[in-house]
Amino acid sequence: MTDAAVRLLSLFNQLDHATRRVVVEFEEDENGVLGYLGRAGFFESLSATVEVIPRRPAYSRALRYRGRNPGLVEVERIDRNCRDSNLLTRLTGAIARACDRRPDVGELQGAAWTILAELIDNVFSHSETPLDGFAALQVYRRGNCLKVAVSDSGLGLLETLRPALQKESSRLANLSDIDLLVEVFRRGLSRHGASRGCGLKGCADKAIKFRAELDVRLPKVRVLLVPEVSGYRPNIAFCYAGLPLIWGTHICFTLALD
Amino acid sequence: MNEMNETKAPPLRLKSFMSEEDGWGRAAGRETHRRLVDFVESKPGVLIFRIATEGIRRIDISFAAESVVELARRYRGKKGFYFVDLTDEDQRENWAAAAQRAGQPIMSWNDHGKCMVLGPEPSQGNVDAFQFALGRQEAKAAEYAAARKNVSITNASSKFKQLWEQGFLLRRESAADSGGVEYVYMRIR
Repeated sequence: MTDAAVRLLSLFNQLDHATRRVVVEFEEDENGVLGYLGRAGFFESLSATVEVIPRRPAYSRALRYRGRNPGLVEVERIDRNCRDSNLLTRLTGAIARACDRRPDVGELQGAAWTILAELIDNVFSHSETPLDGFAALQVYRRGNCLKVAVSDSGLGLLETLRPALQKESSRLANLSDIDLLVEVFRRGLSRHGASRGCGLKGCADKAIKFRAELDVRLPKVRVLLVPEVSGYRPNIAFCYAGLPLIWGTHICFTLALD
Repeated sequence: MNEMNETKAPPLRLKSFMSEEDGWGRAAGRETHRRLVDFVESKPGVLIFRIATEGIRRIDISFAAESVVELARRYRGKKGFYFVDLTDEDQRENWAAAAQRAGQPIMSWNDHGKCMVLGPEPSQGNVDAFQFALGRQEAKAAEYAAARKNVSITNASSKFKQLWEQGFLLRRESAADSGGVEYVYMRIR
């Protein structure tokens, strides 16, 4: 749910930014999705011109209770003009608390910090958009997992990578979006040349080490990378092509709690 | 005075070149890199810098790549940089990932004089020559050839040269007994 929430938030703000009229209609009252999104801080980051039916929550439960639920890190705005250096500490602190039954929790906290640092830094470095990015975390005790989602409204990883690959490697440039995306995480590729691109590969290496699933949604494709001992491979990725357009890079990783 | 005596400087405390306790992101890495370059340029007589990471909570791979790894690559063959007391496993992994990607080895020495290479390892054929050089402050090709039955001076010289070019060793010129020039190779410590 938390990954869907930040993706929807990015989508609604993108449509609004493109001067489309956006109406979000909830069929349930505040005991349903509307209530969850309100508690998660969705509406604080939703463009003020987006219309909500029946209405936006009268007061922000996210503002009132922010930080009090150890199983939730409310939607955090990633403002490219003002970097919140405590954001990573809040997210990784929540991960450590949620996974305290895991014997490798100390290492996991370090790895999670690196993964989030790289993903969020990508929003600052590559997304090339005036719109904010978002991050959120939710613990699912019954599902024995937690999800951390990072979402931006930029061009998307592959759109910035492909022009550079045309010059450097025709083999890579001719790969499908899905295969190229797997290569980004498996080998590390960068539009800035062979010596760069270590960030996302490093994320993937750490995620694999802690058996995390990586779910990556780009403008029209989505790939769910499931770890095996030797790493992420295209033939065990769950791929979805031809999806409705959502600009940006939306990454969610799922970790087992114990 | 032996030229080598001028090569060591006080530890370079990386934290003092950073804006925050955490090394997060490319932009912060580049900023730290600029400050490090200024510092290195202000010490023209120093060949080898030891980097202490105390006080640094965490670094990510992008920061590692843009700061120290880029510094080592910039001065490869001319100046050397190594870590001391890099005990944090997560940090070590991130420095190594960045060094590997850049093809730039960086040494990490512990208290007991044990060296770990972060990043690319020397090729199989050069490992022994590298270990030989690590075991002493200075090494000449002739000394290595004399210590191994099956290695000629030319072969030893070629191995050391490769290790120097790849960033595993430093070298300086010295007058050979024959009157010519020979290279003295130095471990980065």
